[in-house]
Amino acid sequence: MKKDVFTYIIGGKAGQGTKKAGIVAANFFADKKREVFQMNDYPSLIRGGHNFSVVSTSTEKIFSHYMKADLVVALDERSYHIHKDHVNKNGLMVFNSDKIKGKGIGISISSESKKYDNSNQIEGVSGISIIVSMLGSNKEKLDEVIEKEYSRNLKDNKNFAHAIFDVADKKIRDKLDLREGKEKKVSLSGSEAIGLGAAASGLDIYFAYPMTPSTPVLHFFANNGKKIGVTSVQPENEIAVANMAIGASVTGARSMVGTSGGGFCLMQEAFSLAGMSECPVLFYLGQRPGPSTGVPTYTAQADLMMALNPGQGEFPRIVASPGSIEESFYLTSELMDLIWRFQTPGILLSEKHLGESSMTVNLNLNRVKWAKPKKSKSNKYKRYKITKTGISPLLFPPSNQLIKWNSYEHDEEGITTEDADEISKMHLKRLNKLHSLVDYLKEKVKTVNVFGRGSPCVFTFGSTTMSVLEALDYGNIKATVVQPIYLQPFPTWEIEKYKNKKIVVVEQNSTGQLEQLLKDKCGIEHVLSIRQFNGRPFDPINLSKKLEEAK
Amino acid sequence: MTKDLSMDTEITWCPGCGNFGILNAFKKAVEKLGKKGIRNKNILISSGIGCHGKIFDYVGLNGLYSIHGRSMATVQGMKIGNPSLKVVAFAGDGDAYGEGISHMIFAAKRNSDITVIVHNNGTYALTTGQFSPTSKKGFKGPSMPKGNIEEPLNPLSLLLESGASFVARGYAGEIDHLSDIITKAVLHEGFSIIDVLQPSVVFNNTYKVYNKLTEKNSKPAKKLNEAIKLSKKLEDKIPIGVLYKTKKPVFNEKLYGKQNPVRDRLNRKNRLKKIKEFL
Repeated sequence: MKKDVFTYIIGGKAGQGTKKAGIVAANFFADKKREVFQMNDYPSLIRGGHNFSVVSTSTEKIFSHYMKADLVVALDERSYHIHKDHVNKNGLMVFNSDKIKGKGIGISISSESKKYDNSNQIEGVSGISIIVSMLGSNKEKLDEVIEKEYSRNLKDNKNFAHAIFDVADKKIRDKLDLREGKEKKVSLSGSEAIGLGAAASGLDIYFAYPMTPSTPVLHFFANNGKKIGVTSVQPENEIAVANMAIGASVTGARSMVGTSGGGFCLMQEAFSLAGMSECPVLFYLGQRPGPSTGVPTYTAQADLMMALNPGQGEFPRIVASPGSIEESFYLTSELMDLIWRFQTPGILLSEKHLGESSMTVNLNLNRVKWAKPKKSKSNKYKRYKITKTGISPLLFPPSNQLIKWNSYEHDEEGITTEDADEISKMHLKRLNKLHSLVDYLKEKVKTVNVFGRGSPCVFTFGSTTMSVLEALDYGNIKATVVQPIYLQPFPTWEIEKYKNKKIVVVEQNSTGQLEQLLKDKCGIEHVLSIRQFNGRPFDPINLSKKLEEAK
Repeated sequence: MTKDLSMDTEITWCPGCGNFGILNAFKKAVEKLGKKGIRNKNILISSGIGCHGKIFDYVGLNGLYSIHGRSMATVQGMKIGNPSLKVVAFAGDGDAYGEGISHMIFAAKRNSDITVIVHNNGTYALTTGQFSPTSKKGFKGPSMPKGNIEEPLNPLSLLLESGASFVARGYAGEIDHLSDIITKAVLHEGFSIIDVLQPSVVFNNTYKVYNKLTEKNSKPAKKLNEAIKLSKKLEDKIPIGVLYKTKKPVFNEKLYGKQNPVRDRLNRKNRLKKIKEFL
């Protein structure tokens, strides 16, 4: 039996609060113990254009939004025309009858909103009035939501919500029946989960220059940092961001930076500095479509190759990409632990689709890793002491022992050297560290997720994992999904066992970067590729057809 | 860490280089700072890349030998991480006024509590003498064999306009005077910049010119526009000393008050407790 999915789309102009309306609806459904996936689609502008938010909810686990809606609320004409084809056979189109002449249920939203100072922004509030009415609920329930979610200009929001509710109630009351789910969970965005995971692992300072889609993490810390012990700083550019983070790590502060492709390009000299000086900094790289400025507010997985090879020279890099919002919480903390354990830079690679979508999650704080570096107890401190593992214990200022970190090739004391033997020694030390890291991953870390069983074997990574899981579920297709969480070092020891299976690779780029990686690292060839590179996440219905064809 | 900051590293600057003067002045300044209660272990240093940067290996203080143009960003991160420490960035004129000029302007703008010592020799010496942001028009180097076609930048007037709260010019040939300036700069709470006139014996030997033109400035200007005027005096006489000093709130205190992220770190239990409350 197919799971019961209810999908709600609200569309309007930028500034009308459609994104907020989507989040409010997601929280509302989550309150009913339902599972939720919510996705925002918006162009790069502040007022006007076309924004929409999709919320799909089910009593069972759900990993993606659907573009087939049971309820569409169109605040403007463009939204009506774009989304009328997204309405399900038995679905409902509710539109702003002051702006649109169409089929469905018209409600005069704008003539009501005109009565308020922020007439445009308030229109998004109508979404929740419509949902509450459709479910046959009452104004008390509506007030509860408004007080929680729309507390700014509360009086206006309440009055407006009531007025829309009264009109809607005559036309759509009780049209909808949504069962309660099993377990009450919170709905969190990927960015919030990443922020919380970092904080839980001991993050002290987050540095970032605004760049979509990584900015919500900066906003998260700017708004909530004080409550959870994290300082956030917005320096003049990404170069300052990365170098300040390195400076902070030298004092023992756990530091992290966030950016997207273009900003990450600017950080690469600092990334290499972190590699050479063995300085732990976590880089959050939220992907969007490139090249160059590309399509700023949409999604892609085309920076995988860049994330695997940033910075000049050879040094250990750790790159991992979470396959769900829940996983992004744990993985951020795990990466923070790893980069401090192995004193090298790490990348949390993700996408707009994960960072800016929301999903119901269950967070177990006891499972979170805590970044705790190995500290020196010696009274003859050497910053780059040669050890078996390649890891030199750390010491932080203030200290009467000399602590010298260096971007130049250096000796064990951290003093610049050009001596041939010293150069080789230090290369071997960093190489040893890489070997230790691989050993550690093999023994202690879950590097690959495997879901389901059967043929074919579907390889994917990052947020596309969610699309694949939902597509298989939708199409009732049996397959084995293999998601490498770690991409550098690449877990060949886990992946190689699938070498002779029938393989499909699903990813959001045009050249097949994961496919290339599988070939380079594991000799996996002759695969079937499913690629999408239009900035939009996969739609599970379309993807399930493609996966069915690949069977 | 030795008390006199000495290192047993071979010094590879050209004999007679202005960098020796800066090294000696800095060591003297650290000694004076010790008498004012600032212990060596509470100072962190960083440097960029170029002849100046070698000072990192020659001074027995803790820190990070950074990359070209970034030592000013590095020390700002150090200060944010642990504001109880005094931080000093060494930079060349290529570092501070070329590659890393944005960090200088913004450090001044936000009044980061850091000290920047610029070894300003008016040339890219370690890369064999190309023109730099402060090279005079007509300065000949391998990348401009017929002479520099650009006008030099005046970094101090630029930084005064950007909001710098301590602005000084020093001369590598006046070691005691320079060490006094460095001491004051490190003690100053806020962004301190010392532009040090530094002769490069091989590519831009300015000893004679600076010996003749430099003139000690006894009192910092009271007003910003007077300080800007002083900073622009470079022809007949060059005033050296503190040109401007004012009191402003420092960045780290504007950011998080009297907190110290490293010292006040929560342990795992308390951090998770806070997150639980937040959720």
